[in-house]
Amino acid sequence: MGLISRLSPAALRIIALLAVLAIVVIFFAVQIEGYLNGRLFNRISSSVAIMALIATGQTLVILTRNIDLSVGSMVGFAAFATGSIITNNPDLNPLLLVLYAAVVGTAFGMVNGALVAYARVPSIIVTLATMALYRSFLVEYSDAKSITTSGLPAWLTDFPNMPVFSIGAMEFRAGFTASLAVVIIVHLCLTRLRPARALFAVGSNPEAAEMAGIDAKRVVFAAFALSGLMAGLAGFMFLARFGTITVVAGLGFELKSVASSVVGGVNIFGGSGSVIGAFLGAILVDLLETSLVRWAVVSEFWREAVLGALILAAVATDTILSRRLTRLRATKKGDAK
Amino acid sequence: MKHVLLGAAAAMMLTTANFAYADTIKLEPGKETNMVLLPKFLGILVFDQANEGAQEAHKELGNPGKLEFTGPTPENSTAGQIEIMTTAGTQKQGAVMLSNNAGDQIVPAAEAAQAAGTKVVTWDSPIPGGKGESVFVAQVDFGSIGTVMADMALNILGGKGKMAVLSATPDASNQNAWIESMKTALAADPKYKDIELVDVVYGDDQAEVSYNRALALVDKYPDLGLIMSPTTVGIQASAKAMQDEGLCDKVKVSGLGLPSEMASYTMNGCAPEFALWDFRDLGYLTYFTSYGLATGQLKGEIGETFTAGRMGDYTIEADPGREGAKRILMGPFTVYNKDNVEAAAK
Repeated sequence: MGLISRLSPAALRIIALLAVLAIVVIFFAVQIEGYLNGRLFNRISSSVAIMALIATGQTLVILTRNIDLSVGSMVGFAAFATGSIITNNPDLNPLLLVLYAAVVGTAFGMVNGALVAYARVPSIIVTLATMALYRSFLVEYSDAKSITTSGLPAWLTDFPNMPVFSIGAMEFRAGFTASLAVVIIVHLCLTRLRPARALFAVGSNPEAAEMAGIDAKRVVFAAFALSGLMAGLAGFMFLARFGTITVVAGLGFELKSVASSVVGGVNIFGGSGSVIGAFLGAILVDLLETSLVRWAVVSEFWREAVLGALILAAVATDTILSRRLTRLRATKKGDAK
Repeated sequence: MKHVLLGAAAAMMLTTANFAYADTIKLEPGKETNMVLLPKFLGILVFDQANEGAQEAHKELGNPGKLEFTGPTPENSTAGQIEIMTTAGTQKQGAVMLSNNAGDQIVPAAEAAQAAGTKVVTWDSPIPGGKGESVFVAQVDFGSIGTVMADMALNILGGKGKMAVLSATPDASNQNAWIESMKTALAADPKYKDIELVDVVYGDDQAEVSYNRALALVDKYPDLGLIMSPTTVGIQASAKAMQDEGLCDKVKVSGLGLPSEMASYTMNGCAPEFALWDFRDLGYLTYFTSYGLATGQLKGEIGETFTAGRMGDYTIEADPGREGAKRILMGPFTVYNKDNVEAAAK
């Protein structure tokens, strides 16, 4: 009985999300023959590895009451730039290559951050503009060439699918494991580190945060820079997984990352949420998408609509569940007194 | 008597007119007209190849006017195409060469451009309803694409098995026409009777969506033998997905692809056969057509035959796939396999 009262609202939120995930899995397992197996786990985990990073960056930005619509373009540019470097210098050290992707992303993120934090332009305007700008840079930079798998070294294309360890038929592949590690590190920082807590402070009440001596501008700037960093790393993963990069790489990721964060319980008005939530949100969106393709009941033309409805339903169920759990916790606490 | 004379005169005019059409029109070079080559969006290799072909024709015809290669960015394709079409009309461009990605939404802008004297020549992907379009330069006969894909399926599956289609977007008019023509081809000849088309899915011409769809197909149909993808993005992503998951022995990939992107998958057996046409030639022929129309040397009427430089003679004909629309048929296909893919990839 004491368990539920000891859990924080954030933890309850995660439990509610896991419950929704379980419901979805059970539903499709009943509907689709041969659905529930290790392969499903491998599919979802390999695919979510990229979105998990982007959603993590997006969450950091949303926490500060902002939004980053340029993530898709940053992913695309970083993937292409990284691919271009390694194609021309096949012997480049892997760590340097990852670093290059990170630097490219961070540089773009810093431009966003400077414009939002110091030039005081609303983030939706800034990133809507840089979304188009970065994509245009990519079109210029690519010169209509594509990066192709044949130009990439084997270690790079093998990396995402390399099994690190497995439980039964469930493989934890290197791409997914690396992403998961990044998510956990960011989560630990957000919950334990004082400077990282400033993101929540700025998001829930910027004036109060300023009065408490927090440099709100610097925090917002840092959030965008980190979102760029995550997009850069995601670009690296994108390159490794898909091999062929054209100018459409990462198109539409901005909305998917916002959806993942919001489904994952990150408050769109800032101040509350967790990257673990966003991670689970990304899994839920991906799971719904993959399962719907296999579900014969829904035709191709309705799938987008059904996906939208299911995301809404998932958010609603999750909100209701976590509210119930919170209330239950309050009553349990009352009993204990 | 008068009537007889008139009738005779009319008959003579008809005959001479017929003679005029039967004569091959040699386009007179050196006339000035400004033209715009408008791809679906910028940054894609095949569209740049089309531009190279158009530039080649531009030089060859010695047009003192300008040939502009301009297009929208990928995230803004539909709106961007409509905007560029509108601008071209107000700038009184001689012709716009359009690979349409805006469906029939482009019609008002195209009609306005036509009214302002700008010819609209489509290539690669036409305006579905044919309105606002002078003529469509078809890369290959849309009907024959179906037969080519059906034959590749027959070859790869060894005459028997299950196949699924991975297309681009559900509203891409060229894709849908090709899938329909493949269904027709499969139904028409008993030699295809053991090939079953189980599903059609859409990868939105994006690597990650196509990749995931290809894997979902394999999960949905455990005994699937072939993924047929009539799009360069889809075929490449499917081949990569099958290779990554070690499924190439079971599930083969085919469709329309670029040799430079597909060579490694053809050599390792994931995609033993695929087809495509030459985009440079397509750009070259489109330029000749548009130049002829913009300078008034071609009227754009059915039956007109003209010489398109190094490529030879072409005739404007009724488009069998779109009622009331006109087309010029380029053709043919090149089918790539491990014997010729590496040479073509260079």
